[in-house]
Amino acid sequence: MSIIYFLVQQTMFFSIPLLIVALGGMFSERSGVINIALEGIMIMGAFAGILFINIFQGALPGQPVLIIALIIAAAAGMITALPHAYASINMKADQVISGTAINMFAPAVAIYVARIIRTVQQIPFVNQFRIEKVPVLGSVPVLGELFFQNTYITTYLGFAILVVSWLALYKTPFGLRLRSCGEHPQAADSVGINVYSMRYAGVMISGALAGIGGLVFVIPTSTNFNATVSGYGFLALAVLIFGQWKPGRILMAAFFFGLMKAVASSYSGIAFLKDIPIPSNFYKMAPYVATLVVLAFTSRKSMAPRAEGIPYDQGSR
Amino acid sequence: MKKFLTLLLAVLMIASMASCAGGEGGKFELGLVTDLGTIDDKSFNQGAWEGLVQYATEKNVSHKYYQPTEQSDDAYLTGIDLAVKGGAKVIVTPGYLFEVPIFIAQDKYPDVNFILIDGEPHNADYSTYSTSANAVGILYAEDQAGFLAGYAAVKDGYRSLGFVGGMAVPAVVRYGYGFIQGAEYAGGELGLAAGDLDIKYHYTGGFAATPEAQALAASWYNDGTEVIFACGGAVGNSVMAAAEQAGAKVIGVDVDQSSESATVITSAMKGLKASVYSVITDYYAGSFPGGRTLVFEAKNNGVGLPMDSSQFRSFSQSDYDAVYAKLAGGEIPRMTELDEKGSPSVVPVEISTVTEVA
Repeated sequence: MSIIYFLVQQTMFFSIPLLIVALGGMFSERSGVINIALEGIMIMGAFAGILFINIFQGALPGQPVLIIALIIAAAAGMITALPHAYASINMKADQVISGTAINMFAPAVAIYVARIIRTVQQIPFVNQFRIEKVPVLGSVPVLGELFFQNTYITTYLGFAILVVSWLALYKTPFGLRLRSCGEHPQAADSVGINVYSMRYAGVMISGALAGIGGLVFVIPTSTNFNATVSGYGFLALAVLIFGQWKPGRILMAAFFFGLMKAVASSYSGIAFLKDIPIPSNFYKMAPYVATLVVLAFTSRKSMAPRAEGIPYDQGSR
Repeated sequence: MKKFLTLLLAVLMIASMASCAGGEGGKFELGLVTDLGTIDDKSFNQGAWEGLVQYATEKNVSHKYYQPTEQSDDAYLTGIDLAVKGGAKVIVTPGYLFEVPIFIAQDKYPDVNFILIDGEPHNADYSTYSTSANAVGILYAEDQAGFLAGYAAVKDGYRSLGFVGGMAVPAVVRYGYGFIQGAEYAGGELGLAAGDLDIKYHYTGGFAATPEAQALAASWYNDGTEVIFACGGAVGNSVMAAAEQAGAKVIGVDVDQSSESATVITSAMKGLKASVYSVITDYYAGSFPGGRTLVFEAKNNGVGLPMDSSQFRSFSQSDYDAVYAKLAGGEIPRMTELDEKGSPSVVPVEISTVTEVA
């Protein structure tokens, strides 16, 4: 049983950042703007958050530092996403190019600023955010061990973001307007919705979530931040597509990817998997093969927002 | 307005070019061209740079480091060109990735001396090895450093060990082999029975901190592994993160990594700083060991454990000195035959059960 608990806990470390970042990407793409810059935004969010932790750790107690760092990561993510929004909404530029530019810009600026401030590229931090056991809930049999031991508040934040995202997208006027801008902006405009500001909102939300996701990704992974998130921003894009731009499916996709990643990297320490003669490459391939298969079968009725990637020009209505 | 901007831009460009040229005004006698990473990577570049700076500040010699723009032979050669233009008489290049660039540069700049750390100059397809009179290659006995780490861990009471390497390059493989050899040797001294020692063995294939490396280490700790020898740059940081979560231990590599995490009980060190310092000293004394490959090993204090910052429970300085003397005296044969893929199966074991994880 303890192996199952262990596996679930490890899966969380992979899945939660993927979930948060993919949900971020969802807001941007449902508003009609492709956001390939998720990787770069994650780096900037993680950078700002870790830098804050590095400076204020010790001066403030553990969990409040993390919460403020998450807010700072969100703000940094929004600032990073702003040029992307400006280029692709106001300037009507190719959205892939400004996204790629941010991906190239982010690690460089993270290294540059870190070296100016600290003279060292790596920013160390002490992981004092892990919760050994949540009071009361952690003692519940089975469930307590599955979800409330060896965890982070970011895990619950991830689920909260999921619920809020679903509500916002499907149960509020804002969500309806956002989705309409991604499907048929001309029609949305004709009923008085400001397409530009809705798209700005979408990209800004994606910036905030990707920034948070970057910080959530780094904390359990290392003891310092070295200007990289190891390609997980691109993986989140795959999760987004695999999840067909829908919150519920994105959740499943994120956990599928996370579970496969966790199994692939930890099977050697798990007794019953160790003895099955399946090479680790199989587990490593599984999420990507699954993505290809799903895309191959669903591409004809793909759920991609119809106006995604097309700059909206009010004049050509 | 547009004309003004164009003019301004032109002036700026000329000024920036002038400032580049201005660098030649100040001569820097000692130069270092960095490998991947920077001079504060807490690893290779830093160790070599510290040795260079130590000599430079003691003798008041001008010095500077140069960072190539990317990882390629051409970019490294450009870095070397820059250092030569900057007036370097001695250029230190840390890392085996400089083997090919130095092979070319040693003939291109016969008046400049090169110190290549962790490698020997050879051409791109490994068919010709040649070290000119103005170059010296430095190798370390990583297997002996790994041996000391494995020996100390088992002597200190650890029975379930792990080895997480980066890419299976020769230096990493030698660390791993030595680690097994050392654990085995200590097991023999302690009179352990066959199967008493358990060693898990894995190469991540990269040198970055990833959640995969973290999960792998976490699963090993969960499975009973007590200490992991993390041997691959930032991979070590992921192993440390897992160790902090599991309350387990880590052995660091290359330099003393005790400052990076409280979980680091000791580090298998190369004497980077000392070796760079000693060769630069030789150069200024007029006895540059050009054309040779120097091996820094236990015999000349080229490898070791940082006993002052180590957190051992029972392994003492005298235990360390005793085994070090045996290594230095050549009583313990070195593992120098490497498997092509770095498989640990070629290391003879009797007590340990080595599980290689693909």
